[in-house]
Amino acid sequence: MMPNGEPLLSASTLTKRYGAVTALDGVSFDIHDGITGILGENGAGKSTAIKIFLGLVKPTSGEATVLGRNAHENAGVRARLGYMPEHDCLPSQVSAAEFLTHMAEVSGLPPTFARTRAADTLRHTGLFEERYRAIGGYSTGMKQRVKLGQALVHDPAFVFLDEPTAGLDPIGREEMLDLVRKTHREFGISVLLSSHLMADVERTCDRIVVLQGGRLVEAGDVGSFRKETETIFIEVDTNLDPLVAALGRRGISATPDAGGLLIEGRDESIYDGVRDALVEAEAPLRRLAPRRRALTELFERDREPDREPAGNGAVGAA
Amino acid sequence: MTTQLTAAAESGQPPVRTGTVFDIGYRSYTGEREGLNRSRLAVYKDGIRIALGFGRGGRAKILPWFFIGVLAFIGLIMAIVAGAANRIGGPEAAEQLPSHGDYYSIAAIIIFIFAAIVAPELLCRDRREGTINLYLVRPLTGGDYIAARWAAFLTITVAAAWLPQIILFLGLSMGDPDPIGYLRLHWLDIPRFLAAGIVMAAYATTVAMLVAAFTLRRAYASVFLVGLFVITTPFTIGMASEIGGAAGEWISMFNLADIPLYVVDLIFGKPSMLTKDIPAVHLPATTLILWYLAWTLIPGAVLWWRYRRLSP
Repeated sequence: MMPNGEPLLSASTLTKRYGAVTALDGVSFDIHDGITGILGENGAGKSTAIKIFLGLVKPTSGEATVLGRNAHENAGVRARLGYMPEHDCLPSQVSAAEFLTHMAEVSGLPPTFARTRAADTLRHTGLFEERYRAIGGYSTGMKQRVKLGQALVHDPAFVFLDEPTAGLDPIGREEMLDLVRKTHREFGISVLLSSHLMADVERTCDRIVVLQGGRLVEAGDVGSFRKETETIFIEVDTNLDPLVAALGRRGISATPDAGGLLIEGRDESIYDGVRDALVEAEAPLRRLAPRRRALTELFERDREPDREPAGNGAVGAA
Repeated sequence: MTTQLTAAAESGQPPVRTGTVFDIGYRSYTGEREGLNRSRLAVYKDGIRIALGFGRGGRAKILPWFFIGVLAFIGLIMAIVAGAANRIGGPEAAEQLPSHGDYYSIAAIIIFIFAAIVAPELLCRDRREGTINLYLVRPLTGGDYIAARWAAFLTITVAAAWLPQIILFLGLSMGDPDPIGYLRLHWLDIPRFLAAGIVMAAYATTVAMLVAAFTLRRAYASVFLVGLFVITTPFTIGMASEIGGAAGEWISMFNLADIPLYVVDLIFGKPSMLTKDIPAVHLPATTLILWYLAWTLIPGAVLWWRYRRLSP
């Protein structure tokens, strides 16, 4: 948290063009303390936004500040930032202990403290027992932990995690998401988690920024997204058409989807209407469950021609 | 604990040792952050460790230490032979043998091969494995990174160039019947071979790192560099002797293995045994120095430019 309540990250009408390609188009949002997910399909502008915040790329127009400074003009602020890239970035020949010690020194820590911090960080990321083995012999899950460790070893104020669960099996993925949650809740380090997986963001983040085609789609609490994306999915063994008719008589519109019906609505009266329609149509119920809208549907909504993209958003607890 | 142990001793039972493990949790770092100079120093130190294979497996140490050993061995043999000649044939016989001024022309090709093999280790692996991205998101710039890596390899190459000269100087002075008299007569050789070592190392380091900066594969860089140094020698010597005259002098300037040796000769005040027949040594000293600087500073500038533009 910034001492005066200012956002940790702030994008103001941020635009980045690479020749004819617009990677970011007038995006504005603020990010405060906590775990924030930045969500978008490939090419949405997530990585460009992170690179601009880290000061590695200069925006075409607009401004991006991190911890109150422009990292492009003041590279020193990167000493308080951590970054876990999506792609491979680890040296194969050296041990995790040696690598993290080196990275802590590169971030400006004196050698003695760097060694202590490296050991502590490896303990927190669950690699303490394996710390003297060459990284080249690690599993994918262990390598992801080393990548997270190098981002945390210098005790940053803010850390950028780019697809931290990429390539992990379900157990490894859950463990990594636990570590991400721990990073904020126990270590006190704010996180920007970039992902194209809605489930990861929903389970981990407090708040969310959604980008699509370089434009801001939504920004806000994860809870508000959940509400918006709840839909009832009904699957019956027979009598699907009589069920649609019975629902229609009760003023409930149903859309066929994947052999079942999708019903928009989230209050109790909808459930009561569905129950009565099922009885009337004598349709044997196989499944009735709230269905969350897929990430792609969230983006499809933005593609609707009459919908204006979100202009700006403030994310986080001010 | 003391009470437990006393009670156990009184009852005749073996003492029960108890312990508690405390989870101290996460501790934030509140110490000093030393900034950009610490970052540069860390990359410099890491470069030295990579060049010498420290902190890596045994195979990483073989080649650098082999070449450092060969260079030192040449210096040792020269010292032993000169010492024996001095004792058998007197100082006049020893004077006829290769000495400090000749060492670099004898060992130049080994210094270049050393640079060709070790320099790619410092640069190619970081880019190939993506580790460079982790440097660039820290307070360092690409320019800081390459400057620190260049300085690290320069340090190693200078040390590899100086070590045999120091062995040779110690051997010659100890082998002389009057070591103090030898020192009095030849002390100027020390700054000369130190300066000449820097000249050799700066050239070898910069050219080797420039080539390594343009490929991800260490083997490609090493083979290209060795080929460059080895192939230009017979080609330029053949062309220069065929054409002769001023044109021959200029063609011989393109023998990449000899470029720093002209400056080394200027430092020692006379051509070495191996360079005295090269047509280029007849060119003016200013031309030879400018030629050397062009082949060192321009590759250095291109190297810096290449890394300054790098982005994750």
